[in-house]
Amino acid sequence: MSAERAPGLLAGDSLNLRLARRSLGLIALCLILLPFADLAVTTHDPWAELGRMLAGLLHPDILATESLPHAIALTIGFALWGTLLGVVLGFPLALLFSRSRLIRSSCAFVRAIHELFWALLLLQVFGLSAVTAIAALTIPYAGIFAKVYAEILELTPRAPVDALPEGTGRLSRFVYAELPMIWARLSSYTRYRFECAMRSSVLLGFVGLPTLGFHLESAFREGRYPEAGALLWVFYLMIASLHLWGHRRLLPWIALGSLFLLGPWPDIDGALLWRFVSVDLWPKPLLEGNWSELWQWFGEIPDLLPAIGNTLLLGLMGTAGSLVVALLLWPLASRHFGNRPTRMAGKGVLILMRSTPELMLAFIFLLMLGPSMLPAWLALSLHNGALIAFLVARHADAIVPGSHALPASARYAYELLPRLYGGLLALLFYRAETIIRETALLGMLGIATLGFHIDSSFAYMMFDQAFVLLLITAALNIGVDALARRYRPRELAAPPSQHDRPAGDAAC
Amino acid sequence: MSVEELVRFDGEALGHAHHTVLADLTLGLRAGERVALLGPSGVGKSTLLTALRRRLGHHAAWCPQEHGLVPPLSVYHNVYMGRLERHSALANLLNLARPRRDAWHDIQALCGELGLEGLLKRPVSQLSGGQRQRVAIARALYQAREVFLGDEPVASIDPHQARRLLHMVQHRHATCVIALHQRELALTHFDRVWGLRDGQLMFDAPACELTLADLDTLYPDARSSDAQSEPA
Repeated sequence: MSAERAPGLLAGDSLNLRLARRSLGLIALCLILLPFADLAVTTHDPWAELGRMLAGLLHPDILATESLPHAIALTIGFALWGTLLGVVLGFPLALLFSRSRLIRSSCAFVRAIHELFWALLLLQVFGLSAVTAIAALTIPYAGIFAKVYAEILELTPRAPVDALPEGTGRLSRFVYAELPMIWARLSSYTRYRFECAMRSSVLLGFVGLPTLGFHLESAFREGRYPEAGALLWVFYLMIASLHLWGHRRLLPWIALGSLFLLGPWPDIDGALLWRFVSVDLWPKPLLEGNWSELWQWFGEIPDLLPAIGNTLLLGLMGTAGSLVVALLLWPLASRHFGNRPTRMAGKGVLILMRSTPELMLAFIFLLMLGPSMLPAWLALSLHNGALIAFLVARHADAIVPGSHALPASARYAYELLPRLYGGLLALLFYRAETIIRETALLGMLGIATLGFHIDSSFAYMMFDQAFVLLLITAALNIGVDALARRYRPRELAAPPSQHDRPAGDAAC
Repeated sequence: MSVEELVRFDGEALGHAHHTVLADLTLGLRAGERVALLGPSGVGKSTLLTALRRRLGHHAAWCPQEHGLVPPLSVYHNVYMGRLERHSALANLLNLARPRRDAWHDIQALCGELGLEGLLKRPVSQLSGGQRQRVAIARALYQAREVFLGDEPVASIDPHQARRLLHMVQHRHATCVIALHQRELALTHFDRVWGLRDGQLMFDAPACELTLADLDTLYPDARSSDAQSEPA
């Protein structure tokens, strides 16, 4: 009888080995392509800058910002109305979602364009107004709600419907036997989306709308760090206290009250609007039907291919970076490691990272390190890595370890990680769509991704070019999503996020 | 025979799309007959009841197991659902916001008889298993049909109450088919027993001609493990 030979490195076809090969492949690809990325640190003394920022965070100056209450009210008002109208549009679409291919692809399209890009586009027509802000949230959210609500609707239990008397009408059936069964899931997802809307609403300040982000951006940019620190604290407090003031009974009143504060309302010129939609947005050769010139027109878009390449590269780097960060950080917040104080601190850090939008993180790193892909990479990896780490830690807490005597490293490598890794990777691949969306967006800070060219096209009033770049961004996003779906670990019966929230969730 | 047959199966196969549960079934349900349906779990009692329900259509009140209820809604609304098809969609919608006075009155009386008084506004999710089953029975009674079809309606209810509930059901329905697992009740409270085993109808006989030992033959391991019968 011949002894069985020990397998080679990472050889074998158990689930975890396959997943390990897949992740190492991702990281290897990232390392191979890394030399093409511009990772220079161009500032003179990044650490001193960071010190000044931290000092500002420790000595915040809450009174420095003029009309701070108004900015807070606008931030909340935009988020609330953006979400509400998103629900109003998204819910009927969800009912038709599984039946209509047209609706599915339109929703995928509006989802694929970031809220801030929508804001840039709408800005051209509605100016710096409440309509721009609310519609910039409502349009993509309608697409997201349609998809996620449709997924929830699909999970409606059949038994109560089967028990109804014969001849019950469609509407009665829905409101009695279907809607109540999924109400809790629908409302918890909507609540989560509202939290996302709060963050997006803050970010709308980066394109000039008068929310909290507007003051935050100018304070940071002009080096007024005590003021910036105070605004950051206000932002975190707003998110953290959401469960206090975001009560079901209170929200309608806040929504009504904010109507009086929202503004300014634009004067809409119908003829101008029509001209913008029917003429300005489209390449002239296309409208004239001149195909050879259209080709030339494409050639004149500056740095189109490098921009696409950079977007994809940064997206890949962000995904690989998130994986590494998540692997390193999840034990910080898990009950299996450390003691109570370290866990509290770890959880705090993860929540802080997770609550800070990538754009804001990238902006802060940019001020520290100067314009290159490095700040964007750090921001993407830390934000998404922390978000995944937090969810993985919660899954880990549900595991009862077999043996308590193991040292921490063995517990990590033998007891816990093998059971968590599939879920972690699934979350990462869910996030990939968001990461590429954000990657394009980060261009608005001056990093050479597609967003940079979209931003400058708008700035130069080249709407046709901006629009085509937006379409390319959306297509890229849809493509990456399809790719991530393909390589997502499918062997798991249910994606881990389903225990907390519906699958579409990890996108925010 | 002079009594009218409501439903008749003639050598039929019942089951789901690709899977036959009951093969070659020959069986008739006569008006005015109280039938107990016995057999081990998974044998096809629910399949047979579903088929009867389909045949009987509007003539049958349907009492499924408790998972047919809607836990987030109140007891009142769950019972009201028994007559959902008799009101317009608008009336049903308004009833969700504010209960109809007439329906509230009827359902209150019905729930009182079933020992659910004072629970009308409570969500079904907050009730005990036995209470939920009584809500399911209340819903079926509220339908007020000629034939009562029940899928283990008294399964998790104590024997004394089970008897009372069966009386109530049979008082309001001359004809009924009720799946049970309490063998004694089948002999004391029913005219006829249908016994299912191994995908077949083992017997279809008047209850007075059967003994507990006959019924035991339906359950493969009844005599060895299930020696203690229910207290009378």
